[in-house]
Amino acid sequence: MRRVNRREFVATTATGLAGILAARTAPALAQAREISYLCWNNFAPASDKKLSEIGQRFSKDTGIKLKIDHISHMGPQQAKYASEVQTQAGHDLVEMRMHFPWLYEPQLADVSDVVAGLEKQYGKAISSSYEGAHVHGVWRAVPQYHGMFVCTYREDLFKKASLKVPDTWEDLYTVGKELKKMGNPVGIPISQNYDSISTAGPVLWSFGGMEVDKDGKTVKINSDGTAQTIEWYKKMFKDCMEPEVLSWSDASNNESIQQGKAGWIHNPVSAYIIAKQRKLVTADGINHHRSLGGPKGRYETDTPRHIGIWKFSKNVEASKEWIKYLLGKKETYDEYIMSGDAFNLPVYTKLTDHPVLRTDPKYAALKGEGVEYHTYGWPAPPSDKVQLITNAYILPNMIAKAVTGTSTKDSIAWAENEMKKVMAG
Amino acid sequence: MAIGTLPAARAHARLPWRTRVREMLDRERVLGPLFITPALILIALLVAYPFCMALYFALSNAFIGRPSHFVGFRNFVNLWDADAFRQTFQNAFVFTGISVAFKLVLGISLALLLNQQLWFKRMIRGAVLLPWVIPTALSTLGWWWMFNSLYSVVNWTGISLGLLDPPGPNWLGQRHYAMAAVVTVNIWRGLPFFAITILAGLVAIPKELYEAAQADGAGPWARFWYVTLPMLKPVLAVVVLFSTIFTFSDFNIVYVLTHGGPINATHLFATYSRMIGLESGRIGEGAAVSLYLFPLLVFVVWAQLRFVRKQAY
Repeated sequence: MRRVNRREFVATTATGLAGILAARTAPALAQAREISYLCWNNFAPASDKKLSEIGQRFSKDTGIKLKIDHISHMGPQQAKYASEVQTQAGHDLVEMRMHFPWLYEPQLADVSDVVAGLEKQYGKAISSSYEGAHVHGVWRAVPQYHGMFVCTYREDLFKKASLKVPDTWEDLYTVGKELKKMGNPVGIPISQNYDSISTAGPVLWSFGGMEVDKDGKTVKINSDGTAQTIEWYKKMFKDCMEPEVLSWSDASNNESIQQGKAGWIHNPVSAYIIAKQRKLVTADGINHHRSLGGPKGRYETDTPRHIGIWKFSKNVEASKEWIKYLLGKKETYDEYIMSGDAFNLPVYTKLTDHPVLRTDPKYAALKGEGVEYHTYGWPAPPSDKVQLITNAYILPNMIAKAVTGTSTKDSIAWAENEMKKVMAG
Repeated sequence: MAIGTLPAARAHARLPWRTRVREMLDRERVLGPLFITPALILIALLVAYPFCMALYFALSNAFIGRPSHFVGFRNFVNLWDADAFRQTFQNAFVFTGISVAFKLVLGISLALLLNQQLWFKRMIRGAVLLPWVIPTALSTLGWWWMFNSLYSVVNWTGISLGLLDPPGPNWLGQRHYAMAAVVTVNIWRGLPFFAITILAGLVAIPKELYEAAQADGAGPWARFWYVTLPMLKPVLAVVVLFSTIFTFSDFNIVYVLTHGGPINATHLFATYSRMIGLESGRIGEGAAVSLYLFPLLVFVVWAQLRFVRKQAY
C-alpha cells in the first residue's frame, strides 16, 4: 500500500471539504437518508400508534429513517405550514386536509406519478379527494383517507323518552326541544372551529344556500337559503342548545356526548370510538343515524386528507417511497385503515366498501344512502379563496352574530362583505 | 515630543501580550463597548432583524409562499374597514386598561401586606411568585379547565354555595364573561410582578420618613398618601410601563382560553395577527395588525421614561 505523505493528505482533504461546502451536500456515502413527516393528532388515537409502527417497519425495510411529528390540526398545524413555507425549511412531508393543497400549490411537489400508481391499483380517487388535491391538472398531494360527518345521538335517551330519530333539520328542532328539557341539549358548535363549518355547510346547502357560486367568483351568501339557515340556527340556539356552543373547540361536542351531557351532535364517528376505547359508561348508548335533509336536499360534509411533499424538501424521492409504502401495499393500507376504527376511511373507489365498516353495526350510517357528500365551499369549485373563506371562519361567525342579537339581514350583509373581500384579495 | 515617545512605544510593544490585554481592558473606552457588544448582537439578531422584516411585510401584500409587492400603507387602511379588527382594537384597550388598573391596586395592597411582620414571611413571598413562575400556557390550561362549560369548578363552587343559579355563567361562550375570564387570568398572572417590584420599592423607603410623619401626627392613611405613595412613584411608573406593554402584547392567555372568541370578542393584536397572518396566510395584513399600535406604544414608553427621569433627578 502506497504511503500518503502529510502534504498529499492535507491537499486531498482540503479539496474534498471544498467540494462538500460548494455543493452543500454530504458525499453520497455519508448521506443517511432521513425524512420527516408532520401529521395531526388523529381523533382515533390508535391510528397514530399504527402509523408509528408502520413507520418503523418502513425504516427497517428501506434504510430510510422516518421521523413522524404530530400537531393539533386547529391553528397550530396551519401556523406550522406557514412558517415552514416562509422559512423554506422543516418537514419533508405534510398531512393536509380539504383544499389546503390549493392554498400551498406553488410550494408542493408534483406527486401525480404516485397517485397514478395508486389509482391503477385501487381505482380512481373519490371526488372529494380529487377536488382537494388535484390542483390545476396536477396532483399536489396524495389522497390518504377521509372522514365523513354523520349524526351521533344517545340512542338510550331517545328510547327512554320515546323520541323519534330525526330525518330532517326541522325534525331535529322538534326532538331538540325535548332533549334540552331533559338536560341533554343538542350540541352544534357555533364558534371558530372546523366542526362549526362542517355542520353549517350541510344545513346551508339543504336550505338551498351557498357561499360562492359555481363560477367560483360570485359571492352568493346573500340569499333566502341563508336567511332560512340563520332562522333555523336561531331557534335551535334558543330552544335546543346552551350558549356554551359559542366557545366550543372541535373536541367539545365529542366530550359533551361522551360525558353524558349532549343528547345529539353532528360529528364523525370519533366520539363513539373514543367512548368505546375508554370504556365510558355512555359508549353503549351512543349510536349514529343518517344525515339530515332539508327542503333542497340531504347533504353532508366530507373531509378528505392528503399527504403533500414540500418542494423545498431535499428528499422528494425518499418521501414518495414512504407514501408508496403506506398506501401502495394493500395489506399495509388495510392495516392502517382498520386501526382508525372507521374514522379514517379509504379514498379509492375499489376500497370504499371496506371491511372496517362492518366491524361494528353502529357504523351502518356511514354508508350514507341518499346523502350527497361535499367539501367546504361547495358548489364553488375548490380554490385557495374557498380555503381562505374557511380559514377566516366567516360562516360560523355570521351565525354566531345572528344568534347573539345581530339581525339576520345584518349578519348576512356582514358575511357577504367579508367574503367579497377574500374573493377580491 | 516624537523623539522622546519612540523608546516608550517600543518598550510597550515589548510587553508580554497578556499584560497588554490587561492594560487595554483597564481602559473604560475598550471595556464598555466590549461588554455591550454581545447584547447588541443579540438585539440586532433577535429584535432588530424580525422588526425590520415585520415592517417590510406590513408594507407589502405578502401571502405565504408567493411573491410579494410593495403596497405602502394599504394594509393599515384596509384593516380599519374590518369590524373584527376594530373589535380587536377595542378589546386591547379594555383588556389592558382593566387588567393594569386591577394589578396596580391589588399589587400595592399585596406589597403592603407582604411588608408586614408575618409568620412564614419568606414562604409566603415565594408562594406569591408562583403564578409568575409557572409557564403561562400551562397555568392558562388549568384556568380553561376551571372555566370550561362542561367541567367548570368555578360554577360548581358558586352553585354549591348558592351564589349562582344553575347552570351558572357560560364563561368562555359569552362576550362579556369571556372578557372577564381573560382579564381575571391576566390579573392573576401579572399580580406577583407588581407585588414583588412594589415590595422592593417599599423596603427601600427610609424608616425615618415614617417616624417623622408619625411624630407630626400622621395616621396610617396620611402616612400612605404623603410618604409611601410619593416615594413609590418612580417604581410604580416603571411597573405600569412594563405591564402596559406586556398586557397589550399578550398572546398566551387569550389563545389558550378563548382563541379570540366568541365572535372575536377577546381577540388581542397578537392573537388576531396570528389568525390573519399564519392561519389565513395573509402575512402582510398580519404584520400590519401587530405593528398597528407601535407608534402609540413608543409614545407611552417615551412619556413614562421622561416621567421616571424627572422623578429620579
